[in-house]
Amino acid sequence: MQDTGKLGRKVLPYALVLPAILFLLIFTIYPLLDMVYMSFTDWKLVQPAKNFVGLHNYRYLFGRSDFWNALGNTFYYSVLTVISQFCAATLFAVWLRKNTRINSLVRTALFTPHIVALLSVAMVWSWLMNEDKGLLNMLLNLLGLPGLRWLNSAETAMTSLVIVSWWKSVGYYTVIIFSALQTIPTEIYEAADLDNAGRFSRFFRITFPMISPQAFLCLITMTIGSFKVFETIRVMTGGGPGKATYVLVYYIYMTAFQGQFKVCLACAAGVVLLFIVGLLTALYFMLLSRKVHYQ
Amino acid sequence: MAKIELRNVSKRFGNTVVLENLNLTIEDGQFAVLIGPSGCGKTTVLRTIAGIGPQSSGQVLMDDQDISDLPPGKRDLAMVFQNYAIYPTMSVRDNIEYGLKNRKVPAPTRNKLIAEISEIVGIAPYLDRKPAQLSGGQRQRVALARAMVKKPKVFLMDEPLSNLDAKLRSQMRVELIELHNHLKTTFVYVTHDQVEAMSMADRIILLNNGVIQQEANPREIYTNPCNKFTAQFIGAPQMNILPLPGSDMSFGFRPEKVTLTEQAPDAFLKKKARIITREMLGSETLYQLRFDKQSIMVKSLSDVFLPGTDVYFSLRKEDILLFKRDENRLYPQEDGYGQALAAAGRV
Ligand SMILES: Nc1ncnc2c1ncn2[C@@H]1O[C@H](COP(=O)(O)OP(=O)(O)O)[C@@H](O)[C@H]1O
Ligand SMILES: [Mg+2]
Repeated sequence: MQDTGKLGRKVLPYALVLPAILFLLIFTIYPLLDMVYMSFTDWKLVQPAKNFVGLHNYRYLFGRSDFWNALGNTFYYSVLTVISQFCAATLFAVWLRKNTRINSLVRTALFTPHIVALLSVAMVWSWLMNEDKGLLNMLLNLLGLPGLRWLNSAETAMTSLVIVSWWKSVGYYTVIIFSALQTIPTEIYEAADLDNAGRFSRFFRITFPMISPQAFLCLITMTIGSFKVFETIRVMTGGGPGKATYVLVYYIYMTAFQGQFKVCLACAAGVVLLFIVGLLTALYFMLLSRKVHYQ
Repeated sequence: MAKIELRNVSKRFGNTVVLENLNLTIEDGQFAVLIGPSGCGKTTVLRTIAGIGPQSSGQVLMDDQDISDLPPGKRDLAMVFQNYAIYPTMSVRDNIEYGLKNRKVPAPTRNKLIAEISEIVGIAPYLDRKPAQLSGGQRQRVALARAMVKKPKVFLMDEPLSNLDAKLRSQMRVELIELHNHLKTTFVYVTHDQVEAMSMADRIILLNNGVIQQEANPREIYTNPCNKFTAQFIGAPQMNILPLPGSDMSFGFRPEKVTLTEQAPDAFLKKKARIITREMLGSETLYQLRFDKQSIMVKSLSDVFLPGTDVYFSLRKEDILLFKRDENRLYPQEDGYGQALAAAGRV
């Protein structure tokens, strides 16, 4: 090491991060820039010519009702998943903190769905939610309740998808929040006892602020994750019934690889998605990060 | 203002018994100091009084009212935790205000109290800071302010100064004594530092393994310890304890009660010994002496004796304490005292 000299010592750190940077450049940055570039052309997968068309693709997209429908569906799905997952994960975590034997079992069980491939999850749930032969309706009937239409009705399809994403990820977020709860020193709660704190005040003034960094992280991950929803749609509904579950990523996929292979349009939609996610994240940081308590 | 009483209080954690049938009374307005080695159950006693981690059996009384079943928030006492337990996410002001808000104290009163207390403990400039932006001493003051603002009947303090540096500690010690004189509230103060105990207490309660060894005022506990443990726990350097020749008893004497001379003196107990070490403390000098394979510590005003030389050490009759085989004191009025004392003189 001593012989490498000044230059070596300066270069070495860069040499060590070079592989990671190269990977990022080739597989993330370059495709991203290329996508932005292609969104300004008229390129289709089936024709080699690439002509610059300016904002034409964007104007076209925003003039189409099916694109607006996909945007709306995505927002609907996101709001529903983020809110329900966030609340459920927090509640589960708080409940798990009571250290009983069932809870240590539940803790392990909750995490399991996270390691199952989403594709298999989607297939199993398609079967569970089958209107005629599915387990869920069978159970409902057993209880004397009428079966639900699940994925077959425009009213329930989106909620059904939310349930699947819920089953898949809630355990993961629960574990994150649970471990955050574990780091809160017990004396703080004893001090709160002496301060005559009620249950709600204790949660909202002490517990929640203490886990706010992890909660904030979960919120952002959930939001971005929900905007990227695709596998369950592809396997379970194909965007239907009608266009009820047609979300943005599915729209991008269909535009690029089905029908007229309009990659240029798909790229424009991709840029829109990127923009929305970026905007939301920035918004979160602006509105919430001041309230987040970092140690 | 309130009297605190523990009646037959026991505390177990699973199979470990920490306290068993503890009885303790702390009078109204008293500055009571609970002292004892680490792990002896001091914090447990304090938490029992506060009602956090309640006792396994027994009663806690405040002003002769049984408060055993009262939740901590309704006991009208405040506690300063060993590591302060300040709410890290709240500003200093919110920390102090939280307990008042929970008690539905109206906002104008709250603001007045906060202004008053933060002035007294000297944290007024930091009210809008987060605890992380404060030094250890400032946090300690926040914890104190949070307790004071409730105007409780009893203050419980769990080694509140142990995380401070020496200078700040002695400063805070004086401030706490003044605070007690000013408020005239009952204080229960836990420490493992005997200097704190001696300087602050009206009454010292010495605890070992969950058992009260002695309860007395500082002077009494220093000059008249009732057993070997108390004798050796209080005082630095600790009391010299030597076996009594020809019996299974022992006798003890404080290092500062020993007189050193070059010539054999005329005294009740005198003995020739070799000086092993000499430690200058400033106004006093600490010597370690050895004789007959035994070693004693001597605190002397004279610093003229050199290590390696021989001296005579001597003691007066009244400075010798006798301990029975079971480690309890043998008092002058008891049988066999004269005999035992005479044996000590012949060492
Ligand atoms: N939550 C607990 N679970 C098990 N043992 C405990 C618990 N709290 C305290 N103890 C035990 O009780 C004894 C007394 O503890 P403590 O009152 O904290 O001592 P001190 O404050 O005098 O140092 C110790 O031996 C400690 O190990
Ligand atoms: Mg303690």
